Amino acid sequence: MSNHDQKTRTIEEINQKIIKGDAQVLTAEEMKKLVESSGVEVAFKEVDVVTTGTFGAMCSSGAVINLGHSDPPIKIQRAWLNDVEVCHPGAAADLFIGATNACEKKPFEYGGGHIIQELVSGNEVELRATAYGTDCYPRTALNTNITKDDLNQFFLLNFRNCYQRYNCAINCSDETIYTYMSKLLPRMRNATFSGAGEISPLMNDPNYETIGFGTKIFLGGGQGYIIGEGTQHSPKNFNGTLMVKGDAKKMSPEFLQGAAFTRYGTSLYVGLGIPIPILNEGLVRKTAIRDTEIFTDVIDYSVMRRDRTKLKQVSYAELKSGSITVNDKRVRVSSLSSLKMAKKVAQTLKNWISENQFTLTAPIERLPLDTVFKPMRQTHEISFVSTVMQSAVTCMENEEIRAIAERIVTKSVNHIVVINGDGKLLGIVTSWDITRAMAEGKKALVDIETRKVITANPDEPLESASKRMAHHNISALPVIDSERKVLGIVTSEDVSKLLGR
Amino acid sequence: MTRILVRLNGIVVSEPIVSEVILENKVLVAILAAHINSKGGEIVLEVLEDDVDKIVSAFRQKGATVTVPKLIEVDTNRCFSCGSCVALCPVEAINVAEDLSIEFNKEKCIGSACNICVDACPFRAINSIRQL
Repeated sequence: MSNHDQKTRTIEEINQKIIKGDAQVLTAEEMKKLVESSGVEVAFKEVDVVTTGTFGAMCSSGAVINLGHSDPPIKIQRAWLNDVEVCHPGAAADLFIGATNACEKKPFEYGGGHIIQELVSGNEVELRATAYGTDCYPRTALNTNITKDDLNQFFLLNFRNCYQRYNCAINCSDETIYTYMSKLLPRMRNATFSGAGEISPLMNDPNYETIGFGTKIFLGGGQGYIIGEGTQHSPKNFNGTLMVKGDAKKMSPEFLQGAAFTRYGTSLYVGLGIPIPILNEGLVRKTAIRDTEIFTDVIDYSVMRRDRTKLKQVSYAELKSGSITVNDKRVRVSSLSSLKMAKKVAQTLKNWISENQFTLTAPIERLPLDTVFKPMRQTHEISFVSTVMQSAVTCMENEEIRAIAERIVTKSVNHIVVINGDGKLLGIVTSWDITRAMAEGKKALVDIETRKVITANPDEPLESASKRMAHHNISALPVIDSERKVLGIVTSEDVSKLLGR
Repeated sequence: MTRILVRLNGIVVSEPIVSEVILENKVLVAILAAHINSKGGEIVLEVLEDDVDKIVSAFRQKGATVTVPKLIEVDTNRCFSCGSCVALCPVEAINVAEDLSIEFNKEKCIGSACNICVDACPFRAINSIRQL
């Protein structure tokens, strides 16, 4: 069959072309343009490989290192690298550095991700270890400095990487929150998203036709392999993930960056790229996917529950435009993962293949297409605000202080919630405010009420409401719904009663 | 337009000195940011080039400390162009360039009176420069 009539090609054929320097390689971005301008058939004839890329915070990343044996030998029980505690997963001298393990001295600034970056950069890190001592491993304490050259093995081993797409995060509450989706300002003043959209690896082969066990990939500036589906892999709803491994000694700090999220913790930014062999026209169509066709949910991260409120769906085209519209409000949105670096990953992988430094592998087994991400089984219940809240004693803003003082006595409460005619929250008055009004001769409620009220949501865990009371040094929170209608009140007394039960 | 940073101590903070400076000197002043409590505070003002000297000396006479703020500093070696900072900026001083790099507009930035972006950078590439 002549090359022009061929409807399929094999990875073997593509590798032959790569070795001869004849392979036609395009980045995912270039491929989309070609398909748009010249059509599927032409693109299939002209293109052998499409390179994809992403560069983002991947918290389930880590590294396995083998230290070799000390003299006398030690069976490490606990170990620290630059004061970051690392796990000891197996025999005597293996350690696992989890990206989110935090430094004991600066927990939100420095962690496992930074240690991996230091080692990849060739820097020395300080190892401290303790052990209980055995007859075969007598040593009980260790202190030494190591670099990557001193290690027998240094593997990047990431059990959930390369999310196919991710949520867009927003905050509908009245307070700034700090999350793994970064800093979210109150009242939807910003939004964040992650993922490279149309150039993201798993979006360009959503049926896992060429991406599978054993696929060779770009990982952290070096080469790696897909060693299975990632944890929480959920391909049916386009939330696929990968488990990957690679030799970190050959990786580059340009594509592996330790990161710090204020009041959340540390992570590792990973550059990951996958070559997609264009074996048939179906793969041409798949790699032609555009940001306008990839959707994700805008999620309210202020909801302190597993099921957070979905506010709307948006496309990656809207997200990359810099602003989205939520509830008729224009919200500026920015990316947490670097689109510039994602493009660089795809470009670097293209260069490698074009220059015969990287050939393709056929998967030895396909990844599952039907797994789902189940919620946790919980055998012990926890308390929510709704379980302890009581009905609030209320007043209107035009009432006299004397009447309110009487209500405090007859109802024997310390807090009166000020509402308007629709039952919506206006303020709060405490027995202390009333006492002070008496002492200072104030008559009007508006002079003494607190208008900037810290509130609670009925669905939030009692623990978070309780923490908020402690943080603001107050003893009660009016419970309100999304329209600020007062549903009740939760007090520190109610919380203590529950704990004492 | 020039931006100036006015610092008020606990004594002058109770006086309406911004209004006084405006009225006495008949100048136009835009308040870009203000953080004030009973112990003092900071105000970032934008003023016309020609009025800078007049306004600075008027504030100083009234007991305020005035500086022309150097604002934020970005360590370009640490910036990986993720863009976490972009949507946070209240004055849209941070933008994504055509090549997807992150650009900081020092003219627009209101600096230490805001600082919203500083702790949001995953690579700690943004530093706020405090004035003496």
